[in-house]
Amino acid sequence: MRILHIGTDSFGGYGGIALYNRELIAAMASHPEVDEVVVIPRIIVGECEPLPKKVTFVSAAARGRLAFLRAVRGAGSGFDLVVCAHVNLLPVARLVTKHPLLMLYGIEAWKPLRDPISNRLLRGVRGVISISDITRERFTGWSHYDGPSQLLPNSIRAEWYGIRPKNLALAARYKLEGKRVLMTLGRVVAAERYKGFDEVLEVLPHLDADVSYIIAGGGNDVPRLQRKAINLGVADRVIFTGLFPEEEKADLYNLADVYVMPSRGEGFGFVFLEALACGVPVIASRLDGGCEAVLGGQLGQLVDPTNPAEIRLAIIDALASAKRIPEGLAYFSYENFERRTHAIIDGLA
Amino acid sequence: MCGIAALFAYGSAAAPVDAAEIESITEWMRPRGPDAGGTWISPDARVALGSRRLAIIDLSDEGTQPMTDVDGELRIVFNGEIYNYRELRARLQRLGARFHSTTDTEVLLQLYRHDGAAMVELLRGMFSFAIWDPRERRMFVARDPYGIKPLYIADDGETFRAASTVKALLAGGRISREHDPAGVAGFWLMGSVPEPHTIFKSIRAVEAGTSFFVNERGVESARRYYSIAGILGRGVHDEAAARLVQPNVLLRELVTDSLRHHLIADVPVGAFLSSGIDSSALVSLATEAVNEPPRTVTLRFEEFAGAAFDEAPLAERFAREIGSDHVTRLVTRDEFMADMPKLFDAMDQPTIDGTNTWFVSKAAAERGLKVAISGLGGDELFGSYPSFAALPRIVSAARLPFAASVAARIGRSPKAKAAAQYGATWEGAYLLKRGLFLPDDLPSLMGVEAAREGLEQLGILKHIAGTIDPDPGTPFGRVAALEASLYMRNQLLRDTDWASMAHSLEVRTPLVDATLLRQIAPLLMVEKSRCKQHFAESPPTQLPDWLSKRRKTGFSVPLAEWMQLPPDGTSTRMRSWARRVMEQWA
Repeated sequence: MRILHIGTDSFGGYGGIALYNRELIAAMASHPEVDEVVVIPRIIVGECEPLPKKVTFVSAAARGRLAFLRAVRGAGSGFDLVVCAHVNLLPVARLVTKHPLLMLYGIEAWKPLRDPISNRLLRGVRGVISISDITRERFTGWSHYDGPSQLLPNSIRAEWYGIRPKNLALAARYKLEGKRVLMTLGRVVAAERYKGFDEVLEVLPHLDADVSYIIAGGGNDVPRLQRKAINLGVADRVIFTGLFPEEEKADLYNLADVYVMPSRGEGFGFVFLEALACGVPVIASRLDGGCEAVLGGQLGQLVDPTNPAEIRLAIIDALASAKRIPEGLAYFSYENFERRTHAIIDGLA
Repeated sequence: MCGIAALFAYGSAAAPVDAAEIESITEWMRPRGPDAGGTWISPDARVALGSRRLAIIDLSDEGTQPMTDVDGELRIVFNGEIYNYRELRARLQRLGARFHSTTDTEVLLQLYRHDGAAMVELLRGMFSFAIWDPRERRMFVARDPYGIKPLYIADDGETFRAASTVKALLAGGRISREHDPAGVAGFWLMGSVPEPHTIFKSIRAVEAGTSFFVNERGVESARRYYSIAGILGRGVHDEAAARLVQPNVLLRELVTDSLRHHLIADVPVGAFLSSGIDSSALVSLATEAVNEPPRTVTLRFEEFAGAAFDEAPLAERFAREIGSDHVTRLVTRDEFMADMPKLFDAMDQPTIDGTNTWFVSKAAAERGLKVAISGLGGDELFGSYPSFAALPRIVSAARLPFAASVAARIGRSPKAKAAAQYGATWEGAYLLKRGLFLPDDLPSLMGVEAAREGLEQLGILKHIAGTIDPDPGTPFGRVAALEASLYMRNQLLRDTDWASMAHSLEVRTPLVDATLLRQIAPLLMVEKSRCKQHFAESPPTQLPDWLSKRRKTGFSVPLAEWMQLPPDGTSTRMRSWARRVMEQWA
């Protein structure tokens, strides 16, 4: 069996979708019936991770739009399965097949697509794989897609994380010695003002004075949030890390006593799995995919992001909780992800 | 759903609470809770609690009130439903709380123990309750954000009294029946008595969305924990969240979530079905949520046969299409005349509305239903009243130069002539649009001196303006806050309460839900009155055009024909009906 994966980014990519695709490609390639997975990426921003066996990575495709189109067209038609790993790439996938398998992650699939051609091409897809049920429901709600669909939530390599002592140098850098720490990690950009940073900032004045808040990530909305923190009188309790090196991430999570992200725009919320893998109690949103990342409340607390009192009381409860890695996190192990991926391939065959 | 009562003789000079008084108050509310009742008096006779229960969740005796917690310490009387009680209970159990029942009532006790006064902000539902905390020697009193469930209080400086109805408090025999000129003036102006006033001087309504303590020093200031205007105003700043999801899909998701919560019951839940979008969409979404259409009820009046506002034929057609077990109930003038004494007896305060709910509740109760879903609140939420278009026009026009002289010259009705006097502010425009009478009419209705006193105490324009403070920020938001905080709260919800409880029926309103409002406020502020059409498109099978494109009609009854009301300058002759109603309180 030969599989063609047409995606925005995977190996050499940055962020949640790239990570998800790397895991997906690896899991597809490990299927015993799969002979080759050809991967055509639109973007490569960094050094590529080692490729799994049976994966052919067409790095030349990332040189530009034309190169990408040429690579897809040049891939030919000898594939048993074409994975269109982003809904915006449906017209490109159409160059090689009328019936791709479509991947859905989050907000890109919550509303009709800007491009009317893509909306039309949806009718021909062979199936839909969604990272979460909420994304699937919102997608089918507007598209009226009624073909086959499967869920394939993120996976976490828990062994890469773990409960660690607080990194004292990091704590000193951010002046967090002796503090209880809340944390949210994500892009801090004006176009994504649904991450929950504002909501946590607004309850901070109503929490004990020894509670600080790390906003881990950079972006063009940082100045606004800094002004907001000043207006709320909590500027000395809020840390903006800006962009941070990937290798600091696990230590950052381990600085936190509570990971809280009362968001409204997460397709799933891989960050919750990372925090849980560090033993940090998490607070997720009832109104987006975060709810599914904590298994409907089994792995962490759920709050209505529009209710400040609920957020505040959940934080107080979570601050009183001990750090531990919940057994249920195994539901999202890579082994389970791989098993689910193989079942999807078997189902298609 | 129940009737509750509480007495607290907090003052050092107060006489001990009287068992006969709490019994009388509680007994008056028997129709609100025919399934069980009880009273409790503290060992020192300073506190008394009473309850009549309509059993809907946990039908066992464990749900009987007044209820105590597992430690036998805190005590509560509670009227209403907490729709998220299962989630709250799970959280409390995780935190170590113990329970002796599966009721929502007991969840309130444990929530109070764990979170204190902040507990009210975690509740999804309709409620009024009083919790006696003997350790702190104080009573905690709260009412739901929209004011779905009523609660009235009287405080004479020594003893605090509370009950679910005004008439129940009076039945205790210790409260003056002297009329409140402000309450009377409010009725003539708006057609219902605006809270916190009541028709009686000694009785006040606990304001919606507030809570307070009563301790041995007296009644503390109330804390407002929910503001409709504030929530709508915040929605303006959450535009990014509003634009994430297709509007009809988001509405489907959030309203279905509200519906699922409102369908929680240990008894069958039916629905009122009109020929409008709100009730039809709700019935359709409820059918999807529980895989079975609810039993539905519609009223029919011979006087309306063939008219555009005869809802029965279209409701029947829709019921057939979705396969609901439907009943169209004919109401005649003879039945109305026979019911009128009972209707006025149940009417807790003067109001020009409620007859429609009286009969549809009666019909639902005849079907053996204890709970019915209603589409009430959809017009306020989705901006489908004419006022959403009219008020901004009135305000703009009245602010034009020479508006006063033009209105005086060409205005045909008293309201049109008064447009310049009142119309330049949102509160004045609202009074013009919704008012039954205008302030200048009151001396002839209630006497010169009483009118002057009533208008002064009521301060109607300031009262109306208070419902849009903080400013919701847009014309749509202002009208939505005005309608929800005034007409819906003081008239629709209050009338639904007394008219349904008289038939031991609990009416649930999934579109009047504080959680839902918080969640969809951003969408409302972006999509405004388009939300109604989005809502029509929200069920999995969209509502048919013959229903969703139909011109809006109200839920009216042929009172003018039945009562042969004289012309009064209004199409509905509601001014004449108001005079008849007020005669009952003479």
